[in-house]
Amino acid sequence: MKHLSLRRIWLIAQRDYFGYVKTVGFWLSFLMPIVFGGIGILAISAGLDFQNTRYETILDTTGQDVGEDMVARYTRRLVEMRQTITDELPDAMQAAVGDQLDSELDNNLVLVPPPADTIDGLQPYLKGERTVNYEGEDITLDGALHIYSDNGEARARYWSSNVNADLLPSIARRYFRDRARANYLESGGLTLDGYDAATDDLSGIDTFDPTKPVTDTESGQAVSLTDRIPYWVATAAAAFLWFTVFAGAYMLLTSMLEEKLGKLMEMMLASTQFVEIMFGKLLGVALLTLTSLAPYIILVGFGAAAAISMGDPEVIAGIRQAITPKMLVFFPVFLILGYVFYGAFFIALGSLSESMQDAQTLTIPILLVLTACVLVVPAGLADPNAPLVVFASWFPFSAPFAAIIRIPADASWAMLTGSALLLFVSTIGVTWVATQIFKHGVLSGAGLKPLGAWFRRVVLRQKTVS
Amino acid sequence: MTDLLTFDSVSKTFGGKAAVNDISFSVGRGEIVGFLGPNGAGKTTSIRMGLGIVRPSAGRVTLFGERPGPAAFGRIGFLPEERGLYKKQTAREAVAHIARLNGVHKADAFTTADAMLERYGLGDVAAQKVKSLSKGMAQKVQLLAAIAHDPEFSILDEPFSGLDPVNQQVLEGIVRDLSRGDRTVLFSTHVMEHAERLCDRIILMANGRVAFDGKTSEALERAPHRLIVASPDPRLTDTLTPFAQTLSREGDTVHADLKRNATSQAILERLVAQGVTITRFEPRTPTLHEAFVAMVGADVLGDMAANVADDTPLEEDAA
Repeated sequence: MKHLSLRRIWLIAQRDYFGYVKTVGFWLSFLMPIVFGGIGILAISAGLDFQNTRYETILDTTGQDVGEDMVARYTRRLVEMRQTITDELPDAMQAAVGDQLDSELDNNLVLVPPPADTIDGLQPYLKGERTVNYEGEDITLDGALHIYSDNGEARARYWSSNVNADLLPSIARRYFRDRARANYLESGGLTLDGYDAATDDLSGIDTFDPTKPVTDTESGQAVSLTDRIPYWVATAAAAFLWFTVFAGAYMLLTSMLEEKLGKLMEMMLASTQFVEIMFGKLLGVALLTLTSLAPYIILVGFGAAAAISMGDPEVIAGIRQAITPKMLVFFPVFLILGYVFYGAFFIALGSLSESMQDAQTLTIPILLVLTACVLVVPAGLADPNAPLVVFASWFPFSAPFAAIIRIPADASWAMLTGSALLLFVSTIGVTWVATQIFKHGVLSGAGLKPLGAWFRRVVLRQKTVS
Repeated sequence: MTDLLTFDSVSKTFGGKAAVNDISFSVGRGEIVGFLGPNGAGKTTSIRMGLGIVRPSAGRVTLFGERPGPAAFGRIGFLPEERGLYKKQTAREAVAHIARLNGVHKADAFTTADAMLERYGLGDVAAQKVKSLSKGMAQKVQLLAAIAHDPEFSILDEPFSGLDPVNQQVLEGIVRDLSRGDRTVLFSTHVMEHAERLCDRIILMANGRVAFDGKTSEALERAPHRLIVASPDPRLTDTLTPFAQTLSREGDTVHADLKRNATSQAILERLVAQGVTITRFEPRTPTLHEAFVAMVGADVLGDMAANVADDTPLEEDAA
């Protein structure tokens, strides 16, 4: 690496960066999340509902108001559900989200009065031959629940030309199940509401962390949202790191392929070193990857800012707890090392390819390794100190993802530094090997056969019979 | 004369096969040197070693007095045999990009690119993307990219291949421009006419070795002089035989490869003295190709690729 020129590295990075950024395709994919996000926000603001509203009816021929009771119970359950969801949210969001929920719940299913007294009389409406006038509009009836009496027992049948429609049948199923349970309990002098109240008290189990300091109140050691947020942040950071490597890797591969097909490499070698070309490409694609991820980073930033501004102390405390000095130091370290480690592989493999088919064939093994390594993230979330996760945090292929996920579990500075150093040394080794493969790939043909011959001759020092 | 590039007993093997075998030569400042030989003769491998892209298996190569490498960056203009440019760059961006890699500042690089493209008839396409240019135009753009930084030493690998006669002539002009002052040019070709017209000196590679290294006129002297004579007189062949290495007759016309000491003047005098009626008397100026056939044999020129390693082989131990 004598006379390594940062200027040349920067020029190569610039060329690669602007080579992609100037294309229409890049801007389409760049703007897509912003456009779709904007459309989504506009649609929510305008109260638009893209779900199809189903107009259905309940024909109750039992004479016992079973249908009416069913609707009343369903409505009560919706109100409870709304309350449960909004209670979990910060105060400032409760009203807005509650209104949105009301709107969606109301619009999904509209029950209209039955336009006929018998199921036969409903058939023309269900077939679309006749329409129902509802609030001044002619609408087509999408389905009908027929509740009838069978030897004194209420039963139901559902009629619809849409064989997959299940909303009203599922409401009916739940109602009839509850009705059967209530009847059974009543036979023993009990009520369903009483049964539900008794079991609800037992369903919530609080979690306590013995390592948390003991406080005056019993809830001091209870695990809260604040305690969980650092793990979620670490998971998101590891996922971001993996996504950056994955997205960057493919760009490096195609960039390298473009270089090979462009046949400009040999000309550049009269003014640039192999390693400068490689680092230039790594830098250019890294900037490109960050640019293409910028909309997502901005959206996440806005989300975090919104969460903080909403003033929920638990969330703010959780975010503060997640952004530790260890995270601030090691996230960029593992991001850079992980990217260079994998990126060097992809550059080398791209240099051996003559077509996208070649590239796909050659990269399957490393993609499998990359995919296998990301599986350590959910394992780390479940137990950051599991033997597999500890091993993965030292193994260079998985270290970038595993080490990050272990930070909230109070991984030591020594462990994190050691893992980063091992990854650094491995990255230097991988970069050296990749440079050799890169030289070989640029100056000779594609594929693994000549690479195998090179490996036998140069690494294994086998004599070739001429 | 200062030597810019020297090869001292240099060999290069790939997988046990010799691509270049114990070659020694040098290129001095201010020369235009033709690096000639058939495909597979070892020209490209030698050029790669000269630039430090490939390391020799044995011997020593120096460029500007040092081992080839980064120290020479910016002083060399290199056009490789494989043609290529970034297809989405415009012609001026392509020229400026390589110039900047060779150390030229951004503004100067674009100014030079515009001026060069204008000068060599590509001003109208300067803002067009490379993918929309014809092959000949793209090739000229690449050559301009290779030399836009005004290198001391230009190394051009088969610069004329793939060009039509008009563009070949333009390229000859560029090579002449390149060699002004004390600038140096080494270009490889297997088309002898270009070397004959452009070179002060030629190096002939054959079978991975240097078969000839000297002035063009010296090479031409090694070629047999030819003579075409036509006469209805049956004594024509007998009269020519003492002067000829080989003779072939087609009807009244005899083609003769003359012996080294035979001259057209002496033959004409003999024919006149013997009263042989001549209807055609045509001495032929020897070509470099004929000189090379005389030096290495037609079979070597014809079968070269089968006898040596491929000229763009597996890279073994590039520097």
